[in-house]
Amino acid sequence: MSTPARNTPSSERLTLGPLRAPLMFGGLGVGIVGLASAYFLAGDLRSFLSAYLVAFCFIVTISLGGLFWVTIMHLTRAGWGVCVRRLAEILAMATFPCLILFLPILLPVMTGSSASIYDWVDLKNLPERLQGFGDLLAHKEPFLNGPFFAIRALVYFAVWGGCAAFFLRGSRSQDESGDKSISLRMQAFSAPAMLLFAATLVFASFDWGMSLEPIFFSTIYPVYWFAGAAMSSICTMTLISFLLQRSGRLTDDITTEHYHDLGKLMFGFVFFWGYIAFSQYLLIWYANLPEETFWFEYRQQGGWATGSIILIVVHLALPFLAIMPRTLRRNKAYMAMAAIFLLGAHWYDHFWLIMPTTFRPTFGVTPADILCLVGVIGFYASAFALIAGDRKLIPAGDPRLYESLSYHNA
Amino acid sequence: MAHRPSPTRTEPQVKFVGYLAEFDDPHRLVAACDQVRQAGYRQIDAHTPFPVHGIDPALGIRRTRLPFIVLAVGLGALAVGILLQWYANATDDIRPFPGYKFLISGKPTWSLPANIPVAFEITVLFSAFATFFGMWGLNKLPQFSNPLFRIPRFKRATSDRFFLMISADDPIFDATQTRQQLERFGALNVERVDHDQSDAELPRFLKPLAWCLASIAILIPTAVYRSQAMTNEAPRLHFNPDMDWQDKSKPQTVSPALAGAEGSTLFADGRVMRPDVPGTVALGELRLSDPLFRGYEQGTAVEPGATDEEGNPLEPEWVTAFPSDVDDAGDPVLEVNEAMMARGQRQYGIYCAPCHGYAGYGDGLVSRRGLDLTVQGLAAWNQAKSLHDPMVVDQAVGKIFDTISNGRNTMGPYRSQITVEDRWAIVLYVKALQATQERTAAATAPAN
Amino acid sequence: MASTVDQLIDNSIEDPARRAPLVTGGLDYAGVTDVVSQVAESPKPPRIWYILLGISLLLLAMLGANIGHLIFTGVGVWGNRSPVFWGWPIVNFVFWVGIGHAGTLISAILFLFRQNWRTSINRAAEAMTIFAVVCALLFPGIHIGRVWAAYWLFPIPTEHLAMWPNFRSPLLWDVFAVSTYGTVSALFWFMGMVPDIATFRDRAKDPVRRFVYGLLSLGWTGSARAWHRYEVAYVILAALATPLVLSVHTIVSFDFAVSMLPGWHTTIFPPYFVAGAIFSGFAMVVTLLVPARELFGLKHLITIRHLENMNKVIVATGTMVGFAYGIEFFIAWYGGNANEGETFLNRAFGEYYWAYWTMVSCNVIAPQFFWFKKIRTNPWLMVIVCIFVNIGMWFERFVITVTSLARDFIPSSWGYFSPTPVDVMMLIGSFGLFFTLFLLFCRFLPVVAISEVKAVMPTGEHGEGESH
Repeated sequence: MSTPARNTPSSERLTLGPLRAPLMFGGLGVGIVGLASAYFLAGDLRSFLSAYLVAFCFIVTISLGGLFWVTIMHLTRAGWGVCVRRLAEILAMATFPCLILFLPILLPVMTGSSASIYDWVDLKNLPERLQGFGDLLAHKEPFLNGPFFAIRALVYFAVWGGCAAFFLRGSRSQDESGDKSISLRMQAFSAPAMLLFAATLVFASFDWGMSLEPIFFSTIYPVYWFAGAAMSSICTMTLISFLLQRSGRLTDDITTEHYHDLGKLMFGFVFFWGYIAFSQYLLIWYANLPEETFWFEYRQQGGWATGSIILIVVHLALPFLAIMPRTLRRNKAYMAMAAIFLLGAHWYDHFWLIMPTTFRPTFGVTPADILCLVGVIGFYASAFALIAGDRKLIPAGDPRLYESLSYHNA
Repeated sequence: MAHRPSPTRTEPQVKFVGYLAEFDDPHRLVAACDQVRQAGYRQIDAHTPFPVHGIDPALGIRRTRLPFIVLAVGLGALAVGILLQWYANATDDIRPFPGYKFLISGKPTWSLPANIPVAFEITVLFSAFATFFGMWGLNKLPQFSNPLFRIPRFKRATSDRFFLMISADDPIFDATQTRQQLERFGALNVERVDHDQSDAELPRFLKPLAWCLASIAILIPTAVYRSQAMTNEAPRLHFNPDMDWQDKSKPQTVSPALAGAEGSTLFADGRVMRPDVPGTVALGELRLSDPLFRGYEQGTAVEPGATDEEGNPLEPEWVTAFPSDVDDAGDPVLEVNEAMMARGQRQYGIYCAPCHGYAGYGDGLVSRRGLDLTVQGLAAWNQAKSLHDPMVVDQAVGKIFDTISNGRNTMGPYRSQITVEDRWAIVLYVKALQATQERTAAATAPAN
Repeated sequence: MASTVDQLIDNSIEDPARRAPLVTGGLDYAGVTDVVSQVAESPKPPRIWYILLGISLLLLAMLGANIGHLIFTGVGVWGNRSPVFWGWPIVNFVFWVGIGHAGTLISAILFLFRQNWRTSINRAAEAMTIFAVVCALLFPGIHIGRVWAAYWLFPIPTEHLAMWPNFRSPLLWDVFAVSTYGTVSALFWFMGMVPDIATFRDRAKDPVRRFVYGLLSLGWTGSARAWHRYEVAYVILAALATPLVLSVHTIVSFDFAVSMLPGWHTTIFPPYFVAGAIFSGFAMVVTLLVPARELFGLKHLITIRHLENMNKVIVATGTMVGFAYGIEFFIAWYGGNANEGETFLNRAFGEYYWAYWTMVSCNVIAPQFFWFKKIRTNPWLMVIVCIFVNIGMWFERFVITVTSLARDFIPSSWGYFSPTPVDVMMLIGSFGLFFTLFLLFCRFLPVVAISEVKAVMPTGEHGEGESH
């Protein structure tokens, strides 16, 4: 029944090995080709940037979710997830390359270009839907202006990259030394790291998502972002584990029990996302104040009503039913499929947050949207390979590894 | 449980239930379970102070079907929860318990977002019931009589000892061999378990107690029901007079309790607000058009009680056609069409028919009852006017409108109950009613 | 195997390679049974227990008298006056519902997250949940004025009345949420207690105890088949209770947030209320358990490590609540709605500034002391901090409820809320109700989940320490 406790991974191959080079260069190639062709298909810069922002938000929230899971595992001294923690650490570390991916969004804001997707950049040339809100936007100018936007973005990336680097480096030096005090140090740092993470996530979601509609405001918006981030990073960890194991890596160390645990969290956060999304909708629908309801109205016209229902189905109803049964959660291939599906839903969630009416008057997904996504994923895969390097993909020196290796779900 | 052997019983009926083996360590128990099962026993069970993991496969326990029961109940409760809210707030015509359909805060009567919280709570509540009662039901608990409770050593099964039970019903059970096997598997002690059938008898005091409780349980609701159904002429009791007669201020009334009260910040006359300045017109109540609102030509109003030289009351110039006023948007206020006729028929049925009768002959139910009572000397009732009386038939539409609005003779005014549009609709219907009866009279006269 | 060697183990020391033991003092299975059972079996409880029960009963009597006065006189005895029609009763209601949340969090959410340290404290915390919900239900129950018509709140078909509740009203959602919450918590609590009551039954010497515990334990024999279904049922109830506990304070927050009132209508309310509820609930658990473990000799089961973990949850949720205060202020400015901005300025610097700053100092500043290990591992210091947290959370509800109502959109309908003595006595009296129930629970029922503690003991098959 119970396997004897061991504290060392037993898989033969613990690193990316020969997968690394194809992933790094292939990803880069896919990224360049994908984004270039998306740009030509989109036609003008503004519509390309809107599709690009969707893909960027998709990727950056996955990374942020990775950072969240690393921090919370240290904070709660969790043993169950040690086996997959390195994957989360690498995802978190990928916020650094995200800074480069952010430049196409930042530069038009900095130069005040009319191609910028943020309409508050140029108060003199407000689009039609914002006519008459000049005073309101002027009121917000101390916060919504190019230089401050850029400074904030730098702070976010510095915080995320700093925290991620701290955890990744600590964990890697433990691989070699097995020093228990490193665990204690990381645990001590995880509490302030969590505070920093929360503060930066809140304002990043305001800056990059909510300010697209500069007259809209909702205090739950960051939590909505967070719910998607936590869910999508769990999905990514599941998917990467599955792909690595398919190609013969970590075969003995990530077991059905870990998939089951990840599946439970996936299920939990699908529900949590539904809870947050419903709370936001209900409160705005019920109070019926025009200063807020217009945001949902945008998502109910021009075919977007269908788009909104699709979101509920793919992001809540279907996955909720599909990953409820325990037996299915213990099936690796099924959980990998579910992860792919939910990642698609997560991309669609950001598509639904960003596009309706403002950028896309009628509902529809274009090839440029998909190519942007493919391109950004390519860059991301490349970054993953770069960060993973030739190092171990499992925190081999963690003193709690034995717990993770020997755990059995009741 | 206090069990006393019943003195009336003659001979104990004892049945051999099986062997109970005692262990002092969960690991040894699991090992013994494995061995017992490998030896071929199937009717086995373990008794432990806490759930011992790894014992399920050792005993061959299959996963319970409780989750499926809960899922089914939960889905059913979800459907019931949504239906209940639709039924209660979005319907009002299902008998015998009609729903209560009313508009509030501008929300549709059937508004799904607002129904989700309650549907969710009902789902959780009934799923929890299914889990709780389903678990006890599947475990066949409560069961207060159990032969194991007769074994003194078994008391430690809820503290620090681990027991393995082999039932005597098992096909390969053998009184001596099984015992030896159990001892070989490391049992500290093996006990024989017997079932004394008398254990299942209930304590003697339970029956009368149950009867007493049941009668009390029935008596109280019966008393409550009786009190509800009684026709008592005594004035009702006032448990909380402050709540029944509140010292509160109502608009436009004189509140005696507040008039001149010490420290009152209200007006000296006891009112809580000043009366309107004479001639005040409420918003939207200006009503300048005489034909539409009063039924006579513009500016032909007469003083109440004014008479001509011969002493006949003066009358304004009643309109003879339906007023053709237009609203702010330029659309006619009244449009004489089928819809207006249907509306008139409906309102006539509600407000007029009880006295004037559905055909307008002044023979409505109320009128007939009033006449009956008058004949018996119990009331003084004048029969309602027949609308086919030539005097009424000849009246201008404006005059009929005025009658409905302000009443005539013993008929009361209806202007506060029926809207202007509906009054005109009734007039239209009355005119139609009169026309049908005329024609009938004309058509039948030659035949007679 | 009964070992009574009193080893003093400080289990708050960190070693990542080894899980800290959750039971100290060298207790074995029988030892755990003895320690928990002696609380209910000792012929006489400590004298302080009688004193506390006496005080609680006095307060309870005061509550009863006030409720009688209220019912016979009418709700005018409260300080609820125009424009503040939701005064202390609703504040007390939200406060008590919030207190209850920690119990479910410990029994359900920490269970799902496999935090084994919950086992020593979950029973008492669940009991606290139920008693807090009783106190909470009291206030809306009497707030309706005509308590004999309270059944109108439920969807009961009546032919003569032809009336149904308005399912679109958040106040009705409350009825369903809080009553479901109370019911499910009670089922969960009772189910968890059955094996432990069976322990009491098997140890009982006198026939009355044997009969009562025998009845309550439903004939539990600890059969492996029963344990199997029991554990599955436990997981399902935990999985049901988790979204339920989120929904309860969410729906309480809807009472406020669906309105258009500045300071009430903001979308962060649902998660923010839930965090606040957990925050105040944990503070209450610590406040109750520190004296209880001293009084009943449970120090080896409810160890400093347990208390320290709870204090960490308190500082985490306290910081979340502080964050939410900040975001509300930011959005009040960012949204550019003059009424919203004015409301928040008024909260901090208007006539209710004293309530606002009490709230901030108790809720945001006080828990920050728990960053220091010295303070979060010292039983009496942590009780002091937790009492401040409880005071702060009561004031938070006061600030939300009263400041927004007192300043309406039109300055002519501004007012200032003053409570009446009945308000004050009812709040204090509700603590009497709460403590009476809790003291009785401590004396007659298993305060610690005996079987669950045994399952996570090192000699057990299952676990080694606080979490996996």
